[in-house]
Order: sequence, then C-alpha cells, then structure tokens
Amino acid sequence: MAAKHKAAQSAKNRRKTSGITKIKGFTLPQQPTHENKKENGQTAAGMILSIGDITRSFGIIIISFCAVFVCTLFLNYNTDLKSIGAQTLQSDVQNLYNALVMTGKMVSILSGGCLLLTSAVMLCFYIRHYVDTHGKMLGILKAMGYPNLRIAAGFSGFGLSILIGSGAGYALAHVTMPQFYRMQNTDGLLPEIRIRFHPALFAALVIVPTIVFCLLSVLYGYFRLKTPVLDLLKGKVSTKIPKEAKDRENAKKSSLPFLQELKTSTRRQQKSLVFFVGFASFCYASMMQMSFGMDELASWMMALMIFLIGVVLSSVTLFLATTSAVKANWKTLALMRAFGYPDKACSNSILGGYRLPACIGFALGTVYQYALLKVAVMFVFAEVEHVPEYRFDVPALILTLISFTALYKIILHVYTEKIKRMSIREVMMGEE
Amino acid sequence: MIKIEDIHKSYGSQDNRTEVLKGISLTVGDGDCIVVLGASGSGKSTLLNVVSGLEYPDSGKILYDGTNIAALSDNERTKFRREKTAFIFQQYYLLPHLNVEKNVKMGADLAKNHDYIAAIAAVGLSEKRRKYPHELSGGEQQRVAVARALAKKPDVLFLDEPTGALDETTGRQVLDYISRLQKELNFTVIMVTHNTNIADMAKTVIRMNSGKVVDIWQNETQKTAYEIGW
Repeated sequence: MAAKHKAAQSAKNRRKTSGITKIKGFTLPQQPTHENKKENGQTAAGMILSIGDITRSFGIIIISFCAVFVCTLFLNYNTDLKSIGAQTLQSDVQNLYNALVMTGKMVSILSGGCLLLTSAVMLCFYIRHYVDTHGKMLGILKAMGYPNLRIAAGFSGFGLSILIGSGAGYALAHVTMPQFYRMQNTDGLLPEIRIRFHPALFAALVIVPTIVFCLLSVLYGYFRLKTPVLDLLKGKVSTKIPKEAKDRENAKKSSLPFLQELKTSTRRQQKSLVFFVGFASFCYASMMQMSFGMDELASWMMALMIFLIGVVLSSVTLFLATTSAVKANWKTLALMRAFGYPDKACSNSILGGYRLPACIGFALGTVYQYALLKVAVMFVFAEVEHVPEYRFDVPALILTLISFTALYKIILHVYTEKIKRMSIREVMMGEE
Repeated sequence: MIKIEDIHKSYGSQDNRTEVLKGISLTVGDGDCIVVLGASGSGKSTLLNVVSGLEYPDSGKILYDGTNIAALSDNERTKFRREKTAFIFQQYYLLPHLNVEKNVKMGADLAKNHDYIAAIAAVGLSEKRRKYPHELSGGEQQRVAVARALAKKPDVLFLDEPTGALDETTGRQVLDYISRLQKELNFTVIMVTHNTNIADMAKTVIRMNSGKVVDIWQNETQKTAYEIGW
C-alpha cells in the first residue's frame, strides 16, 4: 500500500517536473514559474515579430531611406560649408553662400520633417494592422497572463525598419556626396569643400530616430493592446464601429446601391489609407512638378533626385495602401465573387473610394510645390543673380497628371487581376 | 434540373496529388431538398464548390437545364452564380462594417429586388435591421445570411454546414426558416452537413466517403427542424 502511494506520489512529481498539466485528456502548458516565466517572456516577445514582418514594413524603410538620404546630403553639406567661414567670402559670393545654407535648411526641414512624420504615421498603421490581423495570437498571450507592456516590447522590432532605412539612406548619401558637392559649386565661386564625417549628424539622423521609433512602437503597441482579451480572440478589434458612426449611418436611409454603400463604408473604416493615398498623390504631384522646375533653378542632379524620390515614395505608398485595402477586404471580395459580382465591381467597391483623396492630394501637391518654389525664388534667392523667374508650368502639370493617372490605373489593374485569380474556396476555408 | 456527370477533382502537385472527387454522377430535380452527408475529408464540400460553380472540376459535366457550367469561362460562371445561385456558409461571412439591412442588400441588389425588407422580416429580424453583425448572436447572424441569400431570389441555394457553428436551439430555428422559405419559394436546396439527423429533413440524402457516393436514398416523409434529433 505504502509502495503504491509512493509510486503515485512519484508519478505526480514526474508530471510536475515535466512542466505539463493533464486535465481530462487535454494537455495544457503549466503556469509559468519564476524561471520559465523569464524564458517564456523572452520567447513571447521575440516571437511577436518575425523577420518577414519587419521586411514587410518596407513602406517605412523606403520613406525613412528617402528622408535620411536628403537630410544627410544637405545637412552634411551645410555643416561643411559653414567650416569655410562666411566672413572670408566676398559680398556677391556671400549671397550664394547664404542661399545655399538656407536651401539646405529648408529642404531638410520640409522633406526630412514631413517624411519622418509620415514614417511615424505609417509605423502606427503597421502596428494597428498587425494587432488587427494577429488578434488571436496576441489574445492568447494576454490570456496566459503576459502583461501588455511585455507583449508591446516585441513591437520595438518595428523600429529596426527605421534603422535599415535610415542606415541605407545615410550610407548612400555618403556615396553620392562627392558628386553632390561638385554640383553645388559648379561655377567654382566657393572654395573647395572637403567632405567630413559628422558623428553628431549620424546620431541625429540614424541612432536617435531608431530609438525614438522603437519607443513609439512600444507605446503605440501598448495602447492598442488595451483591447479586452476576448475582443482580441474573437477578432472584434477591427470590426468595432464607433457609436457616432453607427448613429450617423442609421440616420441615413439605405437608398444607396449596395456597391456604393460598401465603397463609402470601406473608405470610412480605413481612414489611415485615405491619408496614405492622399499623401502618395501629394508627393507625386509636388515632387514631379518640382523636378521640372529644379532643372532650371538648381541642377539636373537635384531634379533627378527629387524625381526619383517622388516616384519611389508615391509608388510605394500607393502600393502599400492598395495592398492593405485589398487584404483587409479579402473575405468580402471572395464573398462578392461567390455571389456573382463582376470582378470590376468587386475591385471598384474596395479601391474606388480612394479616388477623391487622390484628387485632393494631387491638387494640394500642385499648389504646395508652386508656393514653395515661388517663395524660394522670391526670398531665398532674392539676392542671387541670374536666377530665372519661376512661373507655373502647365505642361509639367499635364504630364504629371497623366503619368499619375496611369500609375494609379496600373495598380488598380494589377489588383483587379489578383482578385480575378483568387480562390474563393481557399479564402472561405481560411487558407488565404 | 441539375445533372452531374462523372465529376473528378484533385488537389495538390503531381507528387502529392489527392483525388477528392472520384467520378460523381447525380441528378437533382427542381425544388428538391438534397442533403449530402459524410465525414470530414469525404469530399462533400468540394462537391458543393464544384456544383455551385465556385471551382472547376478536372473532368466531367455539370448541366444546369442543359448548360454545362464546367465549360463556361470565368466571367460566364460569375454571371451564372449571379443569376442562379446563393450561398450560406458555416461562418456566416457577413460584412462586419455594414448593418443587417445593408448586408441583405448585397444579395438583393444582384436580383434587383427592392423589397429586401421582406427578406429580413421573413427571418424575423425586422427589429434588428439596423444592428451590426457583432451586435447579433450566432443564430441571428446566420439568419441574416439566410435573408441575404434569399433576397437574391436564387434557383439553387447551397449551404455548407449551416448549423455547424450553432447550438441546438438556434440551429433548429435557422433550419426551420430555410425549410419554410424553401417550401414557399420552391428553390432547390443542396446542403452539406456531417449532422446525420438533418438528413431526415431532406427529400434525397447522399452519403459520401473517400470522394465517392456510397449511398443515396429518398425519405418518404420529410421531418421539420423541430422533429429531427440533434
């Protein structure tokens, strides 16, 4: 009897030490002990983001790359320019010196600042999207007792995308810097400026943004994780509709056709995408038109740089917005196809709602670039000789509008084809 | 009338190919209620997908009043689904950002049915037509899916495990709505389920195993949703 009791005790102990608790045939992980809590905590935080998740945030990588590339070129040049000492220059060269310093500051603040701000918005968008799409996994972690802050710490990985983008931008800026320095002084009015490495600039453009974005990721992730566990597990995070929106919606009569209703509701649900589509068309309109004017006002290199940044930035942002809109509505699209809605109606109902923000962004971008260049010519280059008068370039506007429409249509076409090829069965069975 | 002739369907690459349907032949009369029974992996859902025009078979014919939908182009099949069929799925698949009324409009607009409010009333949800899917119970959500499908005025209604996510009471309620509306509107029902009790509601029962039809029988009398076991 005593032996039997001993054997039972020993079996009990064995179960305890194996870290597994058996309940009516089910196997559950045991409550975390102090030691394995530490271990599991590291694993959980590490498991939240994969390398794929970080590389998928290529929108942030591209934007931070562009921002740091532009800022590094101009700020490094400005810092080196200051080292030659303005007081040693003759008065006519002094004006050029001042204009170059002012241009550098303005471009860095406007481009760098705007792009970094956009990166921050995009970062929040990625985290929100991640929480929406990984609700079950995060819900399980919360249900198991992991504190929000520890889970949110895993989101700091998103800050790495800033490190990748800004690091690459900084490096490429240094590669192209000799050419840029030569272009800034083609007339040879200024003495030769030697390229120097400025650790403070590296810290301000690469290290500090990475740290700030890591912290921002954790804070925003923490804020998003305040959702109740059950809502995360049931996927209710993305389907919650604010009461005011509901009231407004219910006050209206359902007189609109279904496709129109869907288009409106999709746009309303994805406000961040409205911003990104508007931003993409803003960037495209302003930078493309600006590049036409830059050739005369500055140099072909500057024009090419602005042109490339404009095209890459707007294409990436537009592509990202479209991908997110389609992914978020993948099941809706599958259902619509199952019910027999034509492919064009399907893609139009999901993506057609962004036409208005695109038009507004384009108009704002056009006005912005015109105002910026006009101001630059009027004030910054006021005392510099031989600067041509800046006029609104109508052919550039038409060309930009046509090329942007073509880009927008190509992206829509790509996604209509993708929708056409979707397997309704796989989507319905959750095998997306 | 639907005539299915020697349907074959496989999935996977050449090395890892699995034949899911192995030569299925059936005839379904207009206004019939067919229940397809079978264990998980028997091929019943694949049969439903192929017959409803969601997927192409590898070979064989699916004739709807003489038209072979297996030979139609993708656009033609979309048109076929738009005009002839409706679906009810186990997971409801309601559009989360639209209220009940607008979800039902999704089906109604395709049939140019302006009286979609009647479809909502038919499933007893008039009071909740302004509610959003997440504000409804599972049974209510499935009733919205029923209303959405019927507002489309289909000739054939396909149901894939419609009570799979519901408890007994709500499951019976949903089946009762479907069966009463089928009798009233006389559309054809093809339902896939693993619940053998539901077979008692059907006129024709098909049992599948390993991609083949192993048994077909006709019920002399069809029970109501409240008379069957659960």
